[in-house]
Amino acid sequence: MTLTISAPPHIKQDTTFRKITWIKYLALLPVSLVSVYFFGLHALALILAGIGMAVVTEVVIQKAFKKEVTVTNGHAPLIGLMVALLVPGEAPLWIPIVGAFFAVAIGKHAFGGIGSYIFNPVLVAWVFLQLAYWSAMHPASFPELGGISDLFLENGAGMLVGVSPIALVGGLYLILKRYVEWKVPLFYALTTLVLALLIGDKIGHVVTGAFIFGVLFLATDSPSSPVTKNGRIIYGILCGLLTVIYGHFANYVFAVFYGIFLANCVAAFIDNNTLPRSFGEESLLQRKYRRLVNKIPLEKLGVKIDD
Amino acid sequence: MAEINVMETIPEKMIIPLKQHNGDICEPLVSKGEVVKVGQKIGECPSDKCAAIHSSVCGEVVSVEESSHPSGNRINSVVIQPIEETECEDFTPFKDSGKEQLISAIKEAGIVENYGNPTHLVLNPPDCDIDTVLINATASEWVGHNYETPLEYASQMLDSLRLLMKAAGASRGVIVLRNDDKDSIDAFDGLDYEGKTIMVAPLLGKRRVDYYFNDQNTDIIVVSQDKIYGKNIFEYFTYNVTGRKVSFRCTPASAGVAICGVKSAKAIHDLVNTGMPYIETVVTVSGQVNNPQHLLVKIGTTFRDVIEACGGYSGEPAKLISNGVITGVAQYEEEVPVTKMTTSIIVQGKDEVRKDISKECIHCARCVDVCPVDLIPNRIAALANQGRFDECKQMHVENCIECGRCSSVCPSKIHIMQLLQYSEEAIAKAYEDLSEKESSNLKLGCACGSE
Ligand code: SF4
Ligand code: SF4
Repeated sequence: MTLTISAPPHIKQDTTFRKITWIKYLALLPVSLVSVYFFGLHALALILAGIGMAVVTEVVIQKAFKKEVTVTNGHAPLIGLMVALLVPGEAPLWIPIVGAFFAVAIGKHAFGGIGSYIFNPVLVAWVFLQLAYWSAMHPASFPELGGISDLFLENGAGMLVGVSPIALVGGLYLILKRYVEWKVPLFYALTTLVLALLIGDKIGHVVTGAFIFGVLFLATDSPSSPVTKNGRIIYGILCGLLTVIYGHFANYVFAVFYGIFLANCVAAFIDNNTLPRSFGEESLLQRKYRRLVNKIPLEKLGVKIDD
Repeated sequence: MAEINVMETIPEKMIIPLKQHNGDICEPLVSKGEVVKVGQKIGECPSDKCAAIHSSVCGEVVSVEESSHPSGNRINSVVIQPIEETECEDFTPFKDSGKEQLISAIKEAGIVENYGNPTHLVLNPPDCDIDTVLINATASEWVGHNYETPLEYASQMLDSLRLLMKAAGASRGVIVLRNDDKDSIDAFDGLDYEGKTIMVAPLLGKRRVDYYFNDQNTDIIVVSQDKIYGKNIFEYFTYNVTGRKVSFRCTPASAGVAICGVKSAKAIHDLVNTGMPYIETVVTVSGQVNNPQHLLVKIGTTFRDVIEACGGYSGEPAKLISNGVITGVAQYEEEVPVTKMTTSIIVQGKDEVRKDISKECIHCARCVDVCPVDLIPNRIAALANQGRFDECKQMHVENCIECGRCSSVCPSKIHIMQLLQYSEEAIAKAYEDLSEKESSNLKLGCACGSE
């Protein structure tokens, strides 16, 4: 009889980073399919170009620096896919290729790889493409939510990701299953909607595919957001604030990306300033907040609680 | 409803380690070939930081040698071959004895807390006064020891608490139950004790025991709180129950609090009423065995015999764990004895054993969300990994109760808890090495009765 010896704990959840990443593909599959339906095979080519280049870049870099090749954890191709989803449907093929290269090489590896980068690589690439190839990156039109049908198929979509807001709700499943964190998206969405209403922007302009993608997939990218409990709330609110400021004066599609990108800059700063005190002694506000949260019957709603 | 079974079979071999506590190892009083009786003292304390060892069976000493210990080390042990007869030492009950007598009786009976500290030191710490005794019943249920019914458990626990208070010279006593342990709460609720009705009060927010002591105007209360587990829960537990903070590197004794377990409380009750020393304990056997159960076993029985008494393995065992899946120790072999510190035995099958490689932290904040004492485990682990212990200290690493939840949820499979323990040990070492002079402007040492 052979007995295994190991350090405690002896039970661990089977959630791994790899699993979290691959599940995100599932959540992004519907929107990718709709975009191919909408923009034709060119969209498929864009997506494949993005994924392919991201994989190649990651392998080359990790081989060149003699590191373990980690493409199989799915992170690099995911970046490639997300970059491709953020380009306009008519963009030339080299746009996602350059974007994916930039995202993986500069956005991810130049900053030290997973866990060390400070900006979401997808947004790094998007900002770079936007500044360098303005004309190719400017979508032909900006979507506006007119009626319910636009939720399913958005005829004004400029980017791949804008084609169908409803196809993105797979992200909600990720949150319900606790694969991604819930505080950031909740507070981000709330802040944006409330502020937009307050200053009188049309909600149809705000709630687009890009916004939902930003809330559910970009803002929740864990390495570039804070970890403390209060920090995540502040971060969500900040993302919303920046989005509304940019969106009010320009458009809400770009606002989402610039907003999250700028909020990334201060994520570490937020963390450092929200470190909890000994035994997490709570302030009055926190106590009120916790009472409120404890009242939500999460378990009854089928939400898995980590424990 | 769960019940306790008594292990009847007499094993072929008993291994009784001469150290079943934290402190100094006992000196053997017997040698090869001698015949021992049940309850005969076989290990003598060389110092005060120690608890005596008794034989739990009648039999012949086969050898006194180094043998496996569930802690993973090899410890000098007395190996006994039991015989059928059960000849006992004459036990004398200790009814109506005073504080001093009780303390020395507890030491002689070798009563030890399940976390390892000898009970007499917990109740009577050198140069500290205890004013409150807590019985932590959050981890065990009434099946935690040999009781017939929950009611018997409840009334005996109250008696034990009285005894503990007497031994410690404490004026107040608290039994802390777990919120979801309905059986025990029902048993305690409404019980008449010393002319007063016991009410189980929940610990909520800032309402700690002081409030209930004033409210119910008694010196014994029963409260309930959520389950907390971990290897290092005493500071947190003290804070949670009494609101007193234990300063860094001090024991709850410095705050005037003694924390006892259900098992030692029961052992003291037995000692006073029958005079029996600490020679048997209840272990919970679970996992891949045919009859998982609570079993009353004699100390020194090997894990193999215990598992056989539970019907044997129900598959190919891959991991044998003592004391819980979260913080327990994985065993090298089956030939390790049940000691005074053993509370459970868990057998895991092949598919339950995970082999993972640690990866980079992805800041997913899952560890932050599960930490019961509000630490930022991922950041402290990273700092500890880089040897930046002073920064770990600033982030209150000493509050970690070593519950292992962070390691268990981490998707990158980082050994967060071990890194935290490592930094805690390094900090403790650094403090020990500080010379008197250098530390003059640092507040060191544990003043008794401090806040
Ligand atoms: S840091 Fe980890 S082991 Fe320590 S108390 Fe928090 S969750 Fe438990
Ligand atoms: S759970 Fe693991 S990966 Fe997630 S933040 Fe904590 S240490 Fe990092």
